[in-house]
Parts: sequence; structure tokens; C-alpha cells
Amino acid sequence: MNSINLDRDPYSIIITGVGGQGNVMASRVMGSMFVTNGFSVTIGETFGASQRGGSVMSHLRISKKSSWSPQIPRGGADMIVSLEPIEAVRVLAAYGNPGVILLSNTRPIFPVNVIKGEATYPAIEDIKTAVKNSISHAIFIDATEEALKMENPILANIIMLGAVIGLNILPLERDDFHKAIAERVPHDKIDVNMDAFDLGTRLVRQ
Amino acid sequence: MQRFGSRELVENVIRQNLCIGCGACNNLCPYFKSYNGKTTMLFPCTLPEGRCFAYCPKTEVDLDELSAALFHKPYGDDPLGYYRSIMMSRAGARAGHGLFQAGGTVSALMQFALEKRHIDGAILTDRKGIEPTPILATESKDILKCASSKYTAAPTLAALNRAIKEGFGNLGIVSTPCQTLAVAQMRLNPLQENTFRDPTGLVIGIFCTWALDFQAFKVFLSQRIDLAEIRKIDIPPPPAEVMEVFTDCATIEYPLSEIRQLVPEACSYCIDMTAEFSDISVGVMEGRTDMNTLITRTDRGQRIVDEAVSAGYLVLTDLPDENLEHLKWAADNKKKRAFAKAEEKAIVNTPAGTGPSYLRINHATLKKIRGE
Amino acid sequence: MSYLIDDNREGIQHLLMGNEAIVRGALEAGINVAAGYPGTPSSEIIEAFSKIARDRNIYAEWSTNEKVAMEVAAAASFAGLRSLCVMKQNGVNVASDFLLHLASSGTRGGMLLVTCDDPGALSSVNEGESRLFAKLVEIPLLEPGDFQEAKDLTKWAFDLSEKIRNLVMIRSVTRMSHASGNVKFGSLPDTNAHAEYRFDGPLLDMETGPMISMIVAAPELQHGPQQEKLKKAAQLFEDCPFNTYNGPESPELLIITSSACTLYVREAVNLLNIEDRVGILKLATTWPLPPNLIKRNLMRSKAVFVVEEVLPTLEENIKILAAETALETGIKTFYGKHSGHIPSAGELNPDIVISALTKILHIDYRPVEPSFEQKTAKMAATMAPTREMTFCPGCPHRASFWSIHNAIALDGRNGFVCGDIGCYVMGTLPGGYSTVKTLHSMGSGSGLASGFGKLKQFGIEQPVLAVCGDSTFFHAAMPALTNAIHHKSPFTLILLDNSGTAMTGFQPHPGSPFDVMGNTAEALDIEAICRAMGGRVEIADPFNLTETREMLNYLMEYKDGAKVLILRQACALSPERRGKKKFDVSVDESICIGENCGCDRLCTRIFGCPGITWDTEKKVSRIDTIICAGCGVCADICPAGAIQKKEVA
Repeated sequence: MNSINLDRDPYSIIITGVGGQGNVMASRVMGSMFVTNGFSVTIGETFGASQRGGSVMSHLRISKKSSWSPQIPRGGADMIVSLEPIEAVRVLAAYGNPGVILLSNTRPIFPVNVIKGEATYPAIEDIKTAVKNSISHAIFIDATEEALKMENPILANIIMLGAVIGLNILPLERDDFHKAIAERVPHDKIDVNMDAFDLGTRLVRQ
Repeated sequence: MQRFGSRELVENVIRQNLCIGCGACNNLCPYFKSYNGKTTMLFPCTLPEGRCFAYCPKTEVDLDELSAALFHKPYGDDPLGYYRSIMMSRAGARAGHGLFQAGGTVSALMQFALEKRHIDGAILTDRKGIEPTPILATESKDILKCASSKYTAAPTLAALNRAIKEGFGNLGIVSTPCQTLAVAQMRLNPLQENTFRDPTGLVIGIFCTWALDFQAFKVFLSQRIDLAEIRKIDIPPPPAEVMEVFTDCATIEYPLSEIRQLVPEACSYCIDMTAEFSDISVGVMEGRTDMNTLITRTDRGQRIVDEAVSAGYLVLTDLPDENLEHLKWAADNKKKRAFAKAEEKAIVNTPAGTGPSYLRINHATLKKIRGE
Repeated sequence: MSYLIDDNREGIQHLLMGNEAIVRGALEAGINVAAGYPGTPSSEIIEAFSKIARDRNIYAEWSTNEKVAMEVAAAASFAGLRSLCVMKQNGVNVASDFLLHLASSGTRGGMLLVTCDDPGALSSVNEGESRLFAKLVEIPLLEPGDFQEAKDLTKWAFDLSEKIRNLVMIRSVTRMSHASGNVKFGSLPDTNAHAEYRFDGPLLDMETGPMISMIVAAPELQHGPQQEKLKKAAQLFEDCPFNTYNGPESPELLIITSSACTLYVREAVNLLNIEDRVGILKLATTWPLPPNLIKRNLMRSKAVFVVEEVLPTLEENIKILAAETALETGIKTFYGKHSGHIPSAGELNPDIVISALTKILHIDYRPVEPSFEQKTAKMAATMAPTREMTFCPGCPHRASFWSIHNAIALDGRNGFVCGDIGCYVMGTLPGGYSTVKTLHSMGSGSGLASGFGKLKQFGIEQPVLAVCGDSTFFHAAMPALTNAIHHKSPFTLILLDNSGTAMTGFQPHPGSPFDVMGNTAEALDIEAICRAMGGRVEIADPFNLTETREMLNYLMEYKDGAKVLILRQACALSPERRGKKKFDVSVDESICIGENCGCDRLCTRIFGCPGITWDTEKKVSRIDTIICAGCGVCADICPAGAIQKKEVA
């Protein structure tokens, strides 16, 4: 059992992105890392029809006491992990507060209405500036670019998980991740996931 | 000429029943397509100006601008348009033999132009069953296959646009008056494209008093006979007043009065019987089924006619005065009726911003046409 | 999913989805047979059973439809086994015909109807309410309030079913089924089970007679005893350990709730810090309500707030009991859906409950600084464009609807498509070129088209088309097609055959050569079925745009009877296509016409595949190779030949 406590109970984490980015996988892995450490975890997920090009979100509630609402109340997120930059903006408005810690991937996935020219997608630098103007803890990493260097863009979600752990805010360790990922991927895929995880950790510690 | 885009084309032409389905807007882009004789816009295009609108022979046609470009003077009041000569003609001994209607002049001229490389290909109208289908012919045997009248409106210019896209630049075109008008507009490079070059080498217009709406004609026939059995369709010269439909085992006659019900509204606004903006126009001869009327209009038209005659592809004789008189009378009648109808619909010389204009024409000529 | 049984140590905790918790509960109860039809948010239940079927001696199947699933599960119960059938809320409507009869014949081995409702219609075409079926057909209804309870209540429900000898309904919701939480495991029983159907005893003998829904009008013989079963359930519910009260002895406000709403209520009370002012009565047994328990709790407070989703079912049942006991419990002020404190439609969340409580109890509550809220709201409004739903990159439906749209437009007679249930519901949206003009239940597109086709005598000239997927065809479209063929209704059924139940996660169906447990199965040939039924059948590959469009135009003009066009191309997420690009697709920028006359961005502005993006600076299209699935269809729509496809070696 981990003796470290979180500064709020329940501690609320949102993992967000776009359908197909491995959002659900990331939230399950993180959730089981907490369960291993003796926490009571509730994860709320939106998938199904909405995954087809739509925004997806997982709400994680980490508690020493009980299950909580699978939907985080407005303004109630302690940490936002976003696999896509405008999803970070969207979630920040609905669930953010001045103290929230935000970690976002920089690679855009253009909504169809942007592709069609009915809406515009902001420049990534503008997104960074706007986010950093509203909260003091915002970190952007090029997870997809790094995953592309590993020749597998889907690993961006694992790089992001590595980065989250690298922040040293959550009472979770690299070994917890190893255990959780080993339960979920074929044996020969564990190493590449560990590499992605370590890469993420290095990116935020640099 | 005022230039607009696809939105106005749909509003001012298709929705107003003015579209004749000539095919001028087809194959320029993915949006306009013809099917069963009808032109449809598949998806909206947002451009404020487009070639589709600029080429269309049923909206913003500036007769003076076209006349100036082809004949160096404003649109005049001769019911046959500007021309250098009018003769009687028929195919010469050197021309191949096809299913000619009348004297075979059109096929002979196109065949000559292609064989002598005046053109690299010919845009013609073939037929699949009863459906007229435009083709690009690059060999003279294909030209003969397309001989004979079609009687229905056809998206012939769709094939022209496709051929241009494929890189053809010196094309012969056999076109009805409305199609000829569209081709003349294309040749003006209305959108001022840098890469533009005149795609035509020879435009042969064919006389037309009306054409049938293909879809209506198909429905008419399919309610009466099995379409698959039809071999040939013909309208014999007056006084017969019938359309003959030949099948393997019979010839069926339908009164022209019934057939004329199938003429689309768009034809009633057409002011042009003899394809006034062609290089050469060809039509049937009243009273002589073996001969054509041949109107030569432009220098290049004249050159090709002259060469075809000396090469034995074409035989010319003088046109009797009474035939010329009758032709002018008929063309004038069509023009007067069409102008009256268009003016009634308020689509002639419409001031900019007050509504769609079909035709723009100088007032002096318009007054003469009206008989004022 | 094997962790559902791998670790059999009692007391160990796992993070389980609500659906997995229901499965574990059933396993602990010794379930033998599970059947269902896929539908979000219920589909993981049969999938979980199938993965452990061999280890736990379970028979699991995806049935042709929900009614058949219920019949399959009922057969097991009649033979003395424990069974469940599972479906989403809409599925209960499909099964309801059998449900009514099953409820009157009763069951033997414990049998559950597990329904996963979708308040807010997050993955449904409506947020239909299944709880009323329990009242309608007079069977008990249980609703778990958290993940542990999803497991425990399921196990308890099997015992209840056997005690009253009738079917028990368990209702979950999306935020329970698809949410996850800690679940403490109990022990698993032996997997020995023996099935035998006994029918030698007297008619209406629950233990030994034939299982029938009475054939003659003798309600007192069967309906009466059935109602006795319900009364017995109500008595058992009085002491049900899953009905709990938390709060002061006499709170200012009594909150009555159930299901996932329990979690929202707990959250709201915690955030507002009003534990000393309100009491929470959490009910797991919501039909029939245990009258004494309700009466006791109603006496606690003059104000009652019922928190539930969809219809005011619980609220109205509570009000009946309150009226019946008004002399003892006193006059109440009720808050809930009728009072407008809870919205009448849409799913709930903690914020809605917080907002209602602040109004009822006059509390001032602001979760975040208004200035922060305004700033970030403005940022989201200006910087975060919405994401409209669309087909996946490489989806055959995009190509199919492209051709259907164009065929209808060219045909020019104002034809239309009757839609059906599957990913292709997006045919109603711009992503499917707004081609679909009716949309209702499974199979109803074909039924409507059959009807529209017969309106010719009243002057309708519009060509009629219908779409349906391969799984939907077997589920409910076959009877409609039968009807159309028999009555010579001239319509064109477009069968979007993507070789699986794609929308819900690629479950097998009767056309698949294997079943959910991985055993080989008899694959029914859709084409042969349609031909045998007498329809004119054509087949095309939707990725061949010209052939498909021409075939559609041909069939639309072909007057006689019902025609079937099978558009066959596997789903982009199917095992055979996922992650395997057929083509490397690229854009030759020097040829791309872009915004100019001749294209006006057909691929990005109209076709709308997420794999193609628009370079706003260079004014050319480009392929996002991460997203592109390599179907190559965009190369065929490009008017300039700028999009080029090269077959992957």
C-alpha cells in the first residue's frame, strides 16, 4: 500500500482526446495503477457512437474512501491530460479551475468542420499562450511527434502517461505502470510501451 | 457579360426551366453532371464566378460581345447571322458513306478536317439505344457512326470539356445552335485564365428548330414500345408531319403534334435557328433530301470548305433564291417569337442587380428584330 | 478480461466496468447461459462471458435479435439452469412480446433480464426508458447504485428469481455500465450443471408442468399467481441489504434516488457540505417498492426530492405510496421532475443535482471564480471548434452514401433513403451527405420503404430506397423485405454489408463464420437469402464509385418489385482491414486545383474524410498519413487526379 496521500479526496483527473487515440486504454492503465496502490477508483467514460471523430473523455476519481460520480462536477478537475490540444481547451473551460495541472499533446487532429472550412483551427502557439494565460501549471509536449519517431503514433498515449508520472505529483511509480501494461498488451509489446513511457517521463523532466 | 457562379446558374437557368442540357457545365468540375438529359448540381460550390455560368448559353449571353469577337461587329439583324456565303452542298465522292440524313455535308467536312489534321479530334453525338451520348472521335470511321439526327437535346459539350481536360487543343465540334453559343462563349476565355487557349479548330453548327426533352421522350416511347427494339428514328420532310420509329419488325408513326409536346420550355426562348456563332452551319434543304444548306461564316470555315471541295470531299452548288428567302423567313420567325417570349419573362437586357439576364443585345438590332 | 476469473481469491479488489461487475456477479451466482444482441452500452457483457465461456462451462451467444436472446436464455431457465439475457433499452421493446408471456409463465432456474439504458442517448437514437416494462409486465426491477453493487445485486437477483419463480430485471445505465470502479470479489461456485426440461406435471405447476402462457382466458389461474410473486418480491425488498439510508434521523430534505444518480447525489451533498441537512435513501429495488420501508423513510421529512433519469417513474411510484400513507406520513412537498428541479430529458450529472439542491435549500454555491469561468469559456468558444460526428477514415459507408447521394441527385425525381440503425445513422448528417430521410428502429427503414413503395396509386413518383447493415438485416429487416417482395413494393434496399456488427465493436452475426465464443458457425449467405426470397439482387463494391452509382440509378429506374443492392466492403475497423492500408495515398500539390474553378476543394469541403486536410497556406489538400486508412476512394473523386494512390506492396 502506498502511503502517499493526494491533496484532495476525491482527486479528479480527466484524460481527453479524440476517438481512436487510445484514451480509454490510458485511463484504464492509470486507474489500475491507483487500485494497485490501494485507492478506490471510479472512471467515467464516453465512448460508443461519439468516438467516431468525436471528443472522448475519461473522468478518473481517486479516493481513499469510496466510489464517486463518474462525471466530475464543473470546475472540479485537479489534473487534465489531453491527447489533443483543442480538447484541452474544451475540457479546461468545463472542468478547469485556476489550480488545475494541465498536460497536453501538441499534435492537432482537425475536426471535420475545420477540414471542410466551416471552422478554423487555431495555431498551436496561440493555444499554448491562451492556456498559459489562464492557468499557471500548463505543460505541452510533442507526444505524437515523438511517437512518430518510434514509428508508431498510437504510442502518444503511453508517452503522455509517462509524462504524467514524470511530474511527480501522483503517488505512482514506473513499476506500477509496468504491472498495469503487462496485464493489457501482448508480451512482445511490453518493451516498446516501457520505452514510450520512459520517453514521456524524460520529456517532462528535461 | 456579367459573371456569376454555380448558385446563379442553378437559380437563373435550371430552376427557371431554361436548361437545355447542352453539357457546357459538365466535366469542368465535379459538381455539374447530366443524367437522362437533365443537368444536376450534385453538391454546392462556393465560388462567386465559374466557367459553368460563363459558358452557359441560357444566361448572361452578350450577343454583341460574341459577335465582336467572331465577326468584328455588333450583333446584327440578319436572321441567319453573319456569313460569307450560303450554298447547297453534299458529300463528295472521297467522303465515306454513313447513315446520312440529307446530303452528308457535316460528316464529310469533319472527316476531311480530321484526315487533313485541321483538327485532332471531333466532338460528336453518338447514340446508346435512344440516348444521345457525346463522344470524342479521333478516327474518321467513328465520325460516320455518329451521322444521323438525334432529335433530342444532348450534353455534347460534356465530351468537349473532357477532351480539353485530357489535353486536346484543336477540336472539331458538331453542335446545335445552343451548344454553338456555349462554345463561342468558351472561346472568349471569360474567366481570363492564364493557361487558356482556344480549344476549337472547327465549329460546325447544325440548324435546329427544336429538340426533344430526352427524359420526356424516353417516357413517351417506353409507355408505347420496348425501348430495346428501336433501331432508328426519323422525321421525314413535310408534309408528312410524323415521327417514324423503326423496330426490327415494324415502323411506327407518331403525329408530330404529339411529339412537339415533348419539346422543353427552354427551346422556346432560343433565338438562333442556324447556329450563328459557328464557322460553318449546315441544315436540311427544303424539298431536296439529297442536299444540305451550307452557311460559311468565318475565314477558317471558308478555308476548310474550299479545301474540302478541291479534295473531292464536298460538292457545292448555288442555293436557289426562293430557298434562301424561305430560310430567312423561318429563322426570323423563330428569332421574333423567342425574343418576344424572353422579353415577356423580363430576361433580356436586365439591368445589373435587378434579376437574371438571358440575353444582352444592342438596342438598334433588338428594335429591328421586334419589327419596330 | 480473464482477470474476471483468473484471480479467484475472495476479497481481492479489481477495477471493473459496471458491465464486468454484472458479469462477475452472475459468475458468482453460477450462471450457465447468457444471450444478447449488441447495443451500446450493453455489449461488453456477452463479450466478457464469451471470453471465459470455456473455463466456466458457460454458453454465450449473440442472438439474432433481443427477443430471440430472451427466448434462448428462458430455455435454459426452463431446463433448470441459471441464465440471463442482455440488451440496451431499445432492445427491450423488441423482446417485449416474449417478455409479457414469459412473465406470466414464470421461470425455473434463476433468470435475469439485464437492460443497459442510455439516459441522454449518448449512443442511441433515443433515451427510451425500460423501467416501465417491469411495471407493465409485473416483474421485479433492481438498479445497482455503484460498481460493487452491480456485482452483488446481480448475484442476489438470481436467488430472488428462484425464490419467486419469475424473471428479474436489472437495469443499468451508461454511466454505470461504461464506468469503472473497485469491486471486491466473492467466491466462484463449481461449474457443474445439469439441464433437463420437465413437463410431465400438471398444467401450471411451476416445478414440473409445461411452461406456458395460458392459452385460454383464465386470468385467475395465472395472472393472479403472477401478482402474488410480485407481492412476495415486495416483502423480500423490505429487508434488501442494498436499500440504504444515510443521513440524520430527521433531515430537512429526504433525497430518494437509485442507479448512477446515487453517485451524483453523494457528490453533490459532499460538495455542498450539507450532510447534516439532508438524508439519502438509496433504493436498489425500484419495482415493486417495499411499502413499509418507503413509509418509514417518508416519515423522516416533510420535503422529498426524487433524483432519477428519463421518466419520473420512481417519483410517481413514491407519490402513490405517499398518498396511500398520507395519514401517517403527513403532507409532503415533492421535488423532482414534476416540479422542474430535475430536467425532464437528458442524463443527469452532479451539477444538475447541485443546482437543484441550491434552489431547494437556498444555498449559494460557485464551483469556480466567475472571471476564470468567463475567460476559459471565451477561450473554448473561439479556439475549440466542435467535432461533428462523421464516418471513420476508410469507412465503406462514406463511399456508399456518396454514391447514393449522387444517384438520387442525378435521377432527379426527389428520391429518398429510409434509414436504419447502425453507424449509417450518420447518413442523416452532413457526414453522410444528409441522404437519409427517415430514421427509427431496427429494420424499420425497410418496412417504411415497403410502405412508401405502395403509394404509387396515390401519385407518389419519388424513388424509394432503404439502407440497412448486415446485422440489422438479420435482426429485423428480413420480415420487412419479405413483406415488400410479396407485395411487389418497388423499392431498392441497399444492404451495407461490412461483415460484422460494426457499430458496437464488431460482434459476429448469423452471417459470420464463427460465433462469439470463437467456435465455427454456419454463415448464412445474405445474397442467397435475398435471392431465395425472390428479390432482384445485385452486388457491388462501394469503393468502386462509378459502378455503384450506375447500378443504383439502374435499380431506381427498374420498376418491378423490391430490389436489393448488396454493397460489400469490410469495416475499416474490422480485423481484416484495421491497421492495414491497401493504398499509400498522397497529393501531388502541383496538380491540386484547390479552391479554384474546377474543384473548390471537393475532397476536404464536401467528401469530408478526416484523413484529408487542407493546407491553409499553400492552398492545397494533403493526406494526414496517421489518420488515413488507405482506402483510396478520395483518389477517385479528385477531379484533377492530384490525389494519387499507390497499392501497398
